[in-house]
Amino acid sequence: MAIESEYVIETQDLVKIYKTGKVKAVDGLNLKIKKGEIYALIGANGSGKTTSLNMISGALFPTSGNIRVLGYNVPKHRRIISNYIGIAPQDYSIFYDLSLEENVRFFSRIYGMTKAEFEPRFNELLNILRLEEKRKALAKNLSGGMKRRTSIACALIHNPRIVFFDEATVGIDPVLRTFFWKYFHSLKEDGITLVITSHVMDEAERADRIGLMRGGKLIAEGTPSELRNKHNADSIEEIFIKLSEGVIIDE
Amino acid sequence: MSKKNVDLKPKNLNFSLRRTMAIAFRTMNQFRRDRRTIALMSIVPIVIMLIFGLAFSGEVRNVPVIIDNQDVLYTNPFPPISLHLGPNITDNLVADDGVDVTFGNYDQGIDSVELGDVYAAVLIPANFSELVVRMLTGENVTIQLYVYIDATKPTIRASVMSTIYDALDSAVGDRGIKLVQILAHDGAEFTGLDVGIPSVIAFVIIFLLVIVGTITVTREKIQGTQDRLYSTPLRSSERLLGYVIGLLLIAILMISLTLIFGVLVFGVKVHGNVFLLIFAALIFGIAHVFLAVFLSNFAQNELQAIQFAPLTALPSMALGGMLVPIVSLPVWLQPLSYVVPLTYGINLFEGIMLKGWGFKELWVDFTVVAGMCLLFFILAVVTVRNRMRD
Ligand SMILES: Nc1ncnc2c1ncn2[C@@H]1O[C@H](COP(=O)(O)OP(=O)(O)OP(=O)(O)O)[C@@H](O)[C@H]1O
Ligand SMILES: [Mg+2]
Repeated sequence: MAIESEYVIETQDLVKIYKTGKVKAVDGLNLKIKKGEIYALIGANGSGKTTSLNMISGALFPTSGNIRVLGYNVPKHRRIISNYIGIAPQDYSIFYDLSLEENVRFFSRIYGMTKAEFEPRFNELLNILRLEEKRKALAKNLSGGMKRRTSIACALIHNPRIVFFDEATVGIDPVLRTFFWKYFHSLKEDGITLVITSHVMDEAERADRIGLMRGGKLIAEGTPSELRNKHNADSIEEIFIKLSEGVIIDE
Repeated sequence: MSKKNVDLKPKNLNFSLRRTMAIAFRTMNQFRRDRRTIALMSIVPIVIMLIFGLAFSGEVRNVPVIIDNQDVLYTNPFPPISLHLGPNITDNLVADDGVDVTFGNYDQGIDSVELGDVYAAVLIPANFSELVVRMLTGENVTIQLYVYIDATKPTIRASVMSTIYDALDSAVGDRGIKLVQILAHDGAEFTGLDVGIPSVIAFVIIFLLVIVGTITVTREKIQGTQDRLYSTPLRSSERLLGYVIGLLLIAILMISLTLIFGVLVFGVKVHGNVFLLIFAALIFGIAHVFLAVFLSNFAQNELQAIQFAPLTALPSMALGGMLVPIVSLPVWLQPLSYVVPLTYGINLFEGIMLKGWGFKELWVDFTVVAGMCLLFFILAVVTVRNRMRD
C-alpha cells in the first residue's frame, strides 16, 4: 500500500523491453521526483521518454523494476492513483469526432465528476488555455496547437496532483507558450507536480530539474545551473548535444 | 519525511454505470455527427432486401417430406383392369433427389410439418387406384392427392410441388388429377419478398454490427484514446459494456428502420409477437456486438477492421440457409450450418414473423443464440485490453 516518502514519483531499475522489435526502450531508469517540482525529461528521439511516462502513469506495464507514484505501487495500484494524475500524451489522443467540450466532459465523467463540478472547472480551463471561442468546434477541425490545448484540458479537468505533459508545448505559439509556463508555475505553487518532456531546450531551462535520457537511461540530472556548471556549458542545448549524441559519457 | 503523499482517498474503484454510459454516449455521438454513415446504414438493408427478396432463385434438393401411401390394389371386374398406382408414385419420388422421402402416417406428417421437421406431408388416398380405373372406364370422378405443405419458403414449396407432379405424371400420365395443397402454419401464403425479410434482418444485423463495431473500437486505437484511457479510473469491463450499449442503440435504430421499411414499403406482415421479435433481434444483436468487440483485437487499423465483416457475413450467407436451404447443401457441409449464428437468427426471425411461432417452438434457437451471446461475451472479456500493447 501507500508508503510515506518525500517523493511523489520514484522508479527503481525500471526496464521496458517491447516484445515487438525487442528494443530495450527503457534500461534501468531511476527517477525521484518531489512534490511540487517541475521536472523536464529530455533526450533524443527514441531515448525512452514516452515509454517511461506511460509506465509511470500505469498504462504500460514494465518488464522489470519498481514504480511508486504518490506512495502507491504502480501498476498494482494504478487505479487508485489514476484519479490523481493527468496525462497529455504526445499524440493528442482526443476524440476527433467529438467537440472540444464533449471531449473534456467525457474525461470529467471518466473521473467521476458531477456536472456541477465540471462546469466551473471547464470554464476556468477554457480561459487559461484560450479556447473559449472553440468550445463547440469539432476536435478534428481544430488547429494543431488547439488540439494540443484540448488534450491538456482533458488532462487537467479533474485537478490532478501530478501532470504528465509529453511534448506539451509542441505546436503552441511562443506567446501562448510563455503564458503556459506562467500557468505551470502557478500549478507548482499549488503543490502540483509536473513532469514534462521537451525538445525545446530553453524551455527545459525553466524547469526545476532536468533529467537527460539516452538509450533508456538517465545519463545526467540536476537543476539547470547545476548541469551548466558541471558540464562547463553555456546552455542546456550544448549539454544536450554533447551528451545525447554520446560525445561525452557521463556516469 | 513528509506525510503528504498518503492522504489520497482511494476513490472511483468500483464498477460505475456513469463511466459505462460515458463510453456508450461517446460511441453514439460519433454517429450523430456522421450523417452519411447513418444514411448508409439505413439504405444498405433496403438494398439487400431488394436484391435477395426479388432476385433470388436457387436449386433446391433433398427437401424432407413424409409420404403416407394408403392406396390398395384395385381390380375391376369389367372391363378387367387391375391397378396399383401408389407404389409407382412413391418409387418415382424416392428416385428423385429433389425430395428426401420418409414413409409415415399422414396425421403425424402434418405435425412434423407444423414443427418444421419436414416441409410436406403427402397422402395418397386408399381409393386412388380405384378412382383412376373408374375414370379410365369413362366415369366422371375427381381424383385428389393431398399435400400438406409449408408455404413459408416459396422456392422449397415450388420445388416440392413440381417433384410430386413429375412423379404423378410419369406414374399415371396426365389425367387431370388434382393436387390439393393444404398450407401449414394457418394457411398463410407468402410472396418471395416476405420470405426474404427475416433472413435479410438477420444478415443485416451481422453485417452492419460487425462493420460498425470493429471500426468503432479500432478507431479508438488509432486516435490513441484507448491507450490514454488505460491510465484513468475506467475499467475494461466498463469500456466493453459501454461499447455494447452504444452499439446496441445503433443496432436498434437499424433494425427498426429495416422493419419499418419491410412493413410499409414491402408490405411484410409479422404473424407472431412483435415484442418477441424485438427481443430476438436484441439478443442476436448483442451476440454480434460482443463478436465485433472480440474481433477488433485482431485489427490494428480501419482497413483491417473492415475485412471482418465480409469474413463473417459471407460464410454465414452461404451456410446459414439464406441463399440455399440447409437441407439442399452437400451433406458434408451441413454440420457447418449449425455453427453459423445466421442459421439460428433466420430460424428465429422466420419463425416469429412468418410462422407466428412463439417461445415454445423456438426455445432451442433462443437457447443457442443466448449461448452464442455468452460465448462471444466471454471471448470479448478474456481478450479485452486493460493496458498498452508491449
Ligand atoms: N509500441 C512500441 N513497440 C515497439 N517499440 C516501441 C514502441 N514504442 C516505442 N518503441 C521503441 O522504444 C524506443 C523508445 O521510444 P519512446 O517513444 O519511448 O522514445 P521518446 O524518447 O519518447 O522519443 P521521441 O522524442 O521521439 O518522442 C524507440 O526505439 C522506439 O522505437
Ligand atoms: Mg515520445
